[in-house]
Amino acid sequence: MMQRIWMVAGRDFSVTVSNKGFLFGILLMPILIFIFVFLGPRILNGRSPVVAGQVAVMDATGTLISEVRSDLAPLAIAARRARATEPRNPSQKGGASIPSIAVVEKPSAEDLRAAKNWLVQPPAAPERHLALIAIHPDAVKRTEGKAEYGSYDLYIASRLDENTENVIHDAMRQALVSARLKNNGIDQAAVDASMQVVRPVSVTVGVGGERETQRGFARWLPFLCGILLFMGVMTGGQILMTSTVEEKSSRVVEVLLAAVSPLELMWGKLLGQVGVGLLTVVVYVGLGMLALLEYSLAGLVDPMLLVYFVIFYLLASLVYGGLMMSIGAAVNQIADAQSLMGPVMILLVAPYALVPMIGQNPNSTLSVAMTFVPPVNSFVVLARLASSTPPPLWQVFGAMATGLAGAGLAVWFAAKVFKIGLLMQGKAPSFGTLVKWARMA
Amino acid sequence: MDTALEVCGISKTFGNHRAIDDLDLVIPRGATYGLIGPSGAGKTTAIRMIMSILFPDSGSMTVLGKPSALEAKNRIGYLPEERGVYRKMKVRAFLSYIGRLKMGERARVDARATQLLDRLGLADAVNKKCEELSKGMLQRVQFVAAIVHEPDLLILDEPFSGLDPLSVRVLKEIIADEQRRGATIIFSTHVMAHAEELCEQIVMIHKGRKVLDEPMAGLRRQYDTRTIRLEPLDATRDLMALKSVPGVERVQLTDEGCEIGLLAGTEPAVAIRNIAGAVAPARIELVRVRLEDVFIRIVGGGAASEESKQALRTHLQGLSGVGVAS
Repeated sequence: MMQRIWMVAGRDFSVTVSNKGFLFGILLMPILIFIFVFLGPRILNGRSPVVAGQVAVMDATGTLISEVRSDLAPLAIAARRARATEPRNPSQKGGASIPSIAVVEKPSAEDLRAAKNWLVQPPAAPERHLALIAIHPDAVKRTEGKAEYGSYDLYIASRLDENTENVIHDAMRQALVSARLKNNGIDQAAVDASMQVVRPVSVTVGVGGERETQRGFARWLPFLCGILLFMGVMTGGQILMTSTVEEKSSRVVEVLLAAVSPLELMWGKLLGQVGVGLLTVVVYVGLGMLALLEYSLAGLVDPMLLVYFVIFYLLASLVYGGLMMSIGAAVNQIADAQSLMGPVMILLVAPYALVPMIGQNPNSTLSVAMTFVPPVNSFVVLARLASSTPPPLWQVFGAMATGLAGAGLAVWFAAKVFKIGLLMQGKAPSFGTLVKWARMA
Repeated sequence: MDTALEVCGISKTFGNHRAIDDLDLVIPRGATYGLIGPSGAGKTTAIRMIMSILFPDSGSMTVLGKPSALEAKNRIGYLPEERGVYRKMKVRAFLSYIGRLKMGERARVDARATQLLDRLGLADAVNKKCEELSKGMLQRVQFVAAIVHEPDLLILDEPFSGLDPLSVRVLKEIIADEQRRGATIIFSTHVMAHAEELCEQIVMIHKGRKVLDEPMAGLRRQYDTRTIRLEPLDATRDLMALKSVPGVERVQLTDEGCEIGLLAGTEPAVAIRNIAGAVAPARIELVRVRLEDVFIRIVGGGAASEESKQALRTHLQGLSGVGVAS
């Protein structure tokens, strides 16, 4: 019996993995991951074309123009940008290009409407007019009786990019703060130094040693586990349903049933597609680990998490595979399967949607309760195991036990429906009819 | 008696429809049985139950000494009525897979598949995908799949439907070879002529019930038509005058000549001599029993109207020739 089951499983596995559609599907995701993980940062850090042009300043304070000019100089822009990004992400180099800005002073008494016309330059002008800054008279010295300083108005030419506008705002802020401090007799260097508190990267101390804490990755890990589980289960389940419908509609199923029992056929197909899903997961996990190695983060994944992943993947794929296969056995064409797919898709999407919530609050009452409810518990317990506060071991084993019971029930249901549905032709049954079949078989 | 199949009182109901009703059947090893009946009689359901693809609501069976075909599947070859292949699989791979599922040794299965395909004129198709073959070619491939593992029991459900005459002839030769090898053959058809030609024993099923289970030779004796078909040399001769020949009961004119019914107790050989003496024959022969006639007699009964008999006859596809002499 086992020999026949493995023979069916082997055929289904080899036919699926050698199918062009499957190969394209399984490779597409790693290619996207490669693009995002390896090429993404390089592409995003690539410099865009340098913006060059003039910024006109109408300085009603009469004191700020030299400060604005120096703060819009390329070196000052680069220094500000370095201060803003380096402590947060030292690996990120470069960023958007630094604009080349020439500051042009305009008389503050000039009519604003006429000054704004300067921005609407003729297309053939030798240098772009980027922006017009109108600094308020009380921007550096407060008006008597007012608590607040004045500010500035910014008028920009059409098609000015957001990066250049931000550069102008940053420079103006720098210039105004600097001028106000100076006006109040405060040493800006002393203020800057006082404001600077470097946030250190925390160190996680564990039994196995110390390592830098990686909150970002830990936040994403439960979600990644959910996606991997979903993809593995969906890949195997969908193929299982399609191949069963094809075998039924092409009538080859009766030839097969002359050689194997319905139970042998069902187990063979189920194991074959569990293998296909497992291959998908192995490819994705392998590539994920390579990506982690690229960032020296491989140590963040507990090897036991991979073991638990395989166990809960197997349980989930037996449940969803069994249900998808029973749908395949019940219908005569893929279109008929859509109405029966609804309940199964809800069972599949609901836990997937729960994963972010579980990941954020891995020990909430909902998380603990859902740990014992098959088939969603495969997703839930993996999200909890991947979180920074994994569940106690008894809950993991409890989830395995209930998961196993759920898988047993699903396979029993599938076997009953499979036995009756395979030779059934005609109108597609409802989900209620499938339940009836399971009871009577 | 060493039996290949023993079926005891099996019944199967689908909803309100009783597909098989208390069917008993004993088939000795090495025999060739014809399971006949019109479309919808229950033949395929009976076969599916014998194969343990469907399970009876009641009754029991023994297949090749086992309580269920599930335990003897490796020794059974089955060509279902509804043919099917893996369309994307190559012919050789498909046959090898099916043969190995029946626990056939790979090299032996491959060699036999090659030999059978060659015999069926499909030598060039071994490396083609099944979807590239014509319907007739696919049917022959499926036939090979049924016998590639040298089964002890071979169940063929409508094996000749849709085949050209040449392929039918080769298939019949291979079936005869299988019988000579010692295989028991159950052959389901609604084309009575095929059953007459191939089977030693006939089992008729009508509306789910077995209505006949007799050896072919016995049927010929039991349902002797006692009719002589005459085609005269001279087409202008008055054939009705043959009524006066001793032993002749009735004469019915046909397009070619006439059919002559004999009185009970008349020796056919003597009657043929007398008739030939009265009218010079171009052709004269004793009309042999035809299964459709037997079937109509059994299920129609003596009281059945000619219309209902004709309706039954129409239902039994594959009929040919003239009607019964009256």
